[in-house]
Amino acid sequence: MKTFFKALGNLVKKPVTTKYPFEPTFKPDDYRGLIGFEESLCIWCRRCEAVCPPGAIVFSQDMEGKQTYHYNRAVCIYCGECVRACPKEGALFQTAEPAPCALKEENINNAWNKLYPEAIESRELYAAEKKRKAAEKAAADKAAAAAKKESEDNSGATA
Amino acid sequence: MGKQYEIPVGAQHIALLEPLHFKFTTENEKIINTDANVYYVHRGIELACCSKFKFRQVSFVVGRVCGLCSISHTTAYSQVAEKLLKIEIPRRAKYLRMLIIELDRIHSHLLCLSHVAENSGFEALFMKTMQYREFSMELLEAVCGNRIQYDFSIVGGVSRDLKPQVADSIISRLKTFMPQLDELMDIYKHNWTLSLKNKGVGAITKQQAMELNLVGPFARAAGLAVDVRNETEDLLPWKEVGFEMVTETAGDVYSRNMIRLRELYVSIRIVNNIINGLPEGDLITETKAFPEGEATVRLEAPRGELFYYAKGNKTQVLERLKIKAPTFSNVAGMVKGFEGNEYGSAPAIIASYDPCLSCTAR
Amino acid sequence: MIKIETSLANLKKDIAAFYKPELHHFMVMNAVDMGETMEIQWFFCDYAHPCETTCFYTIINPAEEIPSIRNIVVSAWVAEAELVDLMNIKVENTDKGFVLEPDFESGPLRKKK
Repeated sequence: MKTFFKALGNLVKKPVTTKYPFEPTFKPDDYRGLIGFEESLCIWCRRCEAVCPPGAIVFSQDMEGKQTYHYNRAVCIYCGECVRACPKEGALFQTAEPAPCALKEENINNAWNKLYPEAIESRELYAAEKKRKAAEKAAADKAAAAAKKESEDNSGATA
Repeated sequence: MGKQYEIPVGAQHIALLEPLHFKFTTENEKIINTDANVYYVHRGIELACCSKFKFRQVSFVVGRVCGLCSISHTTAYSQVAEKLLKIEIPRRAKYLRMLIIELDRIHSHLLCLSHVAENSGFEALFMKTMQYREFSMELLEAVCGNRIQYDFSIVGGVSRDLKPQVADSIISRLKTFMPQLDELMDIYKHNWTLSLKNKGVGAITKQQAMELNLVGPFARAAGLAVDVRNETEDLLPWKEVGFEMVTETAGDVYSRNMIRLRELYVSIRIVNNIINGLPEGDLITETKAFPEGEATVRLEAPRGELFYYAKGNKTQVLERLKIKAPTFSNVAGMVKGFEGNEYGSAPAIIASYDPCLSCTAR
Repeated sequence: MIKIETSLANLKKDIAAFYKPELHHFMVMNAVDMGETMEIQWFFCDYAHPCETTCFYTIINPAEEIPSIRNIVVSAWVAEAELVDLMNIKVENTDKGFVLEPDFESGPLRKKK
């Protein structure tokens, strides 16, 4: 019976819920939000990419060796593991900003599924190119050294 | 003998909170036999943990096994991985883990209680309990930065520290919650309407609980004193922070409600003790080792005993990870608990089991 | 964790000699695929201090049928049904279709050859 009267009393009370879209809801100061990136501080160690559980960070690389950071907020789980792994203070940081909704026009997941293997491939291509150049350079050095030695030998023989 | 009817309930049903299928055989409204199926939410998490993810990433994957006891899964996995790595974590990290587990227990028990009220046909009490539950969600968000997926325990320690102002707000919010909890206790204990649907319904005896190996509040309501917090001391020091066993004897829906409400008082005391006696120190133990050997861990989740088995092979990826969720142990008892009850009581009984099917099927 | 080796022939005898409902509870069955062979484990835990976990294990060929222990441990049918589905092995008197759909053919936790 007590409950019944309490329930009746509740009819005239103010609602306990917040009118969400018109009023802000509770949000702590250190909410786990979007991951920020400061390119000028990054040392390009790619440790964040290695530790990220869902694979929301990937680095692509062009033929000059310049790396680009890619981040997908729809894949990210906001765990902050990348920030903990980052050896350079301030290069990666977690903001308190919630991720905005992804729109259809953005094509966020399909574009990411295409970008991810391309980024990995671009790095492989660069590594292969670097290896080829290094091998070429080594071969050239070897040829130069051999030529030098030969000329030295020849000069020694003539002397 | 009257005519027998088979009534399927689920996988989608208004009284079910989770995708679970029961097939009741009834005779004159009495349930005489039950059949259960749980295969609707298998996601292959065990396979993913031992093939795709590195062992440090797995603690975030197992957190996604279940939304309600996310912290129990991450903590149990972190502990089993620490056993494989043979490291000891700092005391402060242990206390912070216990803090989040207990805050999580408060919100999980209140959720279950509200659903029992709802399924017993007491919608107003459902809303009231949910209203009182909101503070625990906000506290968890303030500590971990997220309402549901806490990602708080990581291999070697915890990921975030407790700020002093957050600790103060936990103490003050718990103080305002105490009279609300007394009010809920009063309603669940003395309300006549609720007692019609709860007292003497879905009863399990202590002997049955032992034979069916039940765990958690389900077993404690029947008088079987099983609680991992009472049993293990090596990983998390529960006795230090004032844990106390709570048991009832009747084993019906009513005594399950009472167990949950009384455990809330214990949880509140533990949270207060942890915050008042939080030791200083590091949050994480760093190591470069790889997991090796076999280890098992048990942990008391809100629904009962959680069991993890892991086997490492000195590489980044685990050889095998086995998760045994509390509801998995209770399936046999759940089927038994319906016997002899009226079909109309089934919704309240299902809610009082507090089933978590995404844990069970994984 | 105490590990006790057993064999398929002795399994029921060993567990019946060990298991007392008022002293232990059965937790779960587990299998570890090791390529050609498979390790099957039965986990028990004590109620009383120090609550030691006991593991009975045996190494089998995945094609062999495992005897069911549900006559000794009533609730073991849940764990057995799960293992049949996930590991694609045979357990006495257990059909597929508890954790996975009944028409799901391969065991997802088996190693790919």
